[in-house]
Amino acid sequence: MKKILLTLLLVSLIILPVAAGGSTEQTETVDAYGWIEDQMVNGLPGVNPLKVTGNIVTAGSSTVFPLSERMAERFSEEGYSGTITVDSIGSGAGFERFTVAGESDISNASRPIKDKEIAQAKTIGRNPIEFKVGTDALAVTVSSKNTFVKDVTLEELAQIFGSAVYWSDVRPQWPKEEIMRFIPGTDSGTFDYFVEEIFDKDATAMLSAENVQLSEDDNILVQGVKGSEYAIGFFGYAYYVENKDVLNVLDIEGIEASEDTVNAGVYPLARPLFLYSDASIMKEKPQVAAFINFYLTYVTEEVTSVGYFPASEEALSQGRASWLEAMEGTY
Amino acid sequence: MKNTVPHPYGKRIRLHETVIESLLFLFALMSVMITVGIVVILFKESMLFFSSDEVTLSQFLFGTKWQPMIGQFGVLPLLNSTITTSLIAMLVALPLGLSVAIYLSEYATAKTKSIVKPILEILAGIPTIVYGYFALTFMTPLLRSIFGEEVVQMYNTASAGIVIGILILPLVATMAEDAISAVPKELRLASHALGSTVAETTFHIVLPAALSGLSATFLLALSRAIGETMVVALAAGAGPKLTFNPFEGAETITGYIVRISGGDVSYNSVDYTSIFALGLMLFIITFTLNLISRSISAKYHMEYE
Repeated sequence: MKKILLTLLLVSLIILPVAAGGSTEQTETVDAYGWIEDQMVNGLPGVNPLKVTGNIVTAGSSTVFPLSERMAERFSEEGYSGTITVDSIGSGAGFERFTVAGESDISNASRPIKDKEIAQAKTIGRNPIEFKVGTDALAVTVSSKNTFVKDVTLEELAQIFGSAVYWSDVRPQWPKEEIMRFIPGTDSGTFDYFVEEIFDKDATAMLSAENVQLSEDDNILVQGVKGSEYAIGFFGYAYYVENKDVLNVLDIEGIEASEDTVNAGVYPLARPLFLYSDASIMKEKPQVAAFINFYLTYVTEEVTSVGYFPASEEALSQGRASWLEAMEGTY
Repeated sequence: MKNTVPHPYGKRIRLHETVIESLLFLFALMSVMITVGIVVILFKESMLFFSSDEVTLSQFLFGTKWQPMIGQFGVLPLLNSTITTSLIAMLVALPLGLSVAIYLSEYATAKTKSIVKPILEILAGIPTIVYGYFALTFMTPLLRSIFGEEVVQMYNTASAGIVIGILILPLVATMAEDAISAVPKELRLASHALGSTVAETTFHIVLPAALSGLSATFLLALSRAIGETMVVALAAGAGPKLTFNPFEGAETITGYIVRISGGDVSYNSVDYTSIFALGLMLFIITFTLNLISRSISAKYHMEYE
């Protein structure tokens, strides 16, 4: 008797959410493509956010987060009435959600998807499509109280975040004070990118250094760097722009991060920012296709104010072509 | 049903009584089952961690570096900072909490008591995340302005420890007050009759008599401090470091668990199973403390008739 009751309770707990999920999907299929307008904007069919229904789930890079959040806000401001979630959990974790559990519709990433992640996605029937949406100049920053570091070379970065204990180990004229390191967590694309560029894909040196604080939350890093003149950290440029008054950004190899150097491709730590989705999701959930379309169409208008740099026109039009290909014949 | 006394007039037992009894039993059973389930999962996942080729038990217990990404599995840095923050918390909470308890039970008038106690209870109701930001945005800057920014790092265990102390203060105060109030009034009256002052009575008669309850209080507060998560996750630092300097940042066991689970790492990785091993370790520590606290109150519990 007691066992039966307990089992009933457990079974109902499991079934209820499933049943609820099923019923909402059915109501959404009415005129799924009503949001497409006749006019083409920037090479894609125009989107009318007022007519887009259903929810969108995105997750991934904390670097891409401010940009996606801004696009989501604008999408809602222009009339989208559904719920769009943007989770800031790191590129790696984002891909995990996208390719293993299949919980997210769009994966934000600050590094390209890895082959093994594509293979994983295929096992759950997803075929990731890449959209470049902007460019980040990875900002290596120190506190504005720090007066001695203005620029570093790539080799010096490897020392600062690796073997060196004191600042004076890197350059003799720097003070003999311990380096306090604030780096993005191991699940973030920024971490992966930095390891690849500076440490030739081997994270050992960076993780075994003394005084390392890791966090997926870039605001924690900002707080830490700002707190001490002997602290250094790196994160997406947008987080530097937001905290310009308390942080100094370093020149890398004598090159300042700016729109010119990033667009010209000379800033050494510039990297593309990505969205990933999948054609079957975009067809099943037209709201996802609508949002990506909207994103690709207007991202360049928003990207600078968030603190990043526009993707090249070539990269954007490649993304638009991928969108058209994915949605071919559906509307 | 076994315990029901047969009705003196031989009436049969009412059906709804049985239903209610079995329902209540079911709920009691459920909470036990949940506990059992948690323990089973902790053990199962920890076994995955310890059975992994990279990890040995001795390395786990005595290694001085914790960085699972690159195969370093020494728990000492995490354990050390957990102990540091908890000790600091106890240094804050014990004297304060005990003083509050003594004041409330021995000195305060009924009116003051009716004002102070609810305020303490409000303190207990504040979400721990708020305490976390309190540590980060108030306590840390305060410490830094007192001891100098050179000495006190932005993230440090001292700030987190002090704030955990404030957080467990209401727990210590109310439980200690219960323990002290449980001492029979006759003892106090006898002491007064022999000419002792209130202070003498409190420190020589009442506190020793309440010792078992007080030790139980302290141990429970300690396990609460060890398990505290939000405050250390925000204020104590996000990198494992073996340091005895409370002004340096060092990640605690709970802080590490939060950081790793927050980024949802891959389920197959040793990082992921490591958090269960750490959870198991925390569980064993707090469980032992609770057992000790129970046996103390059972052993030294004095009956006054």
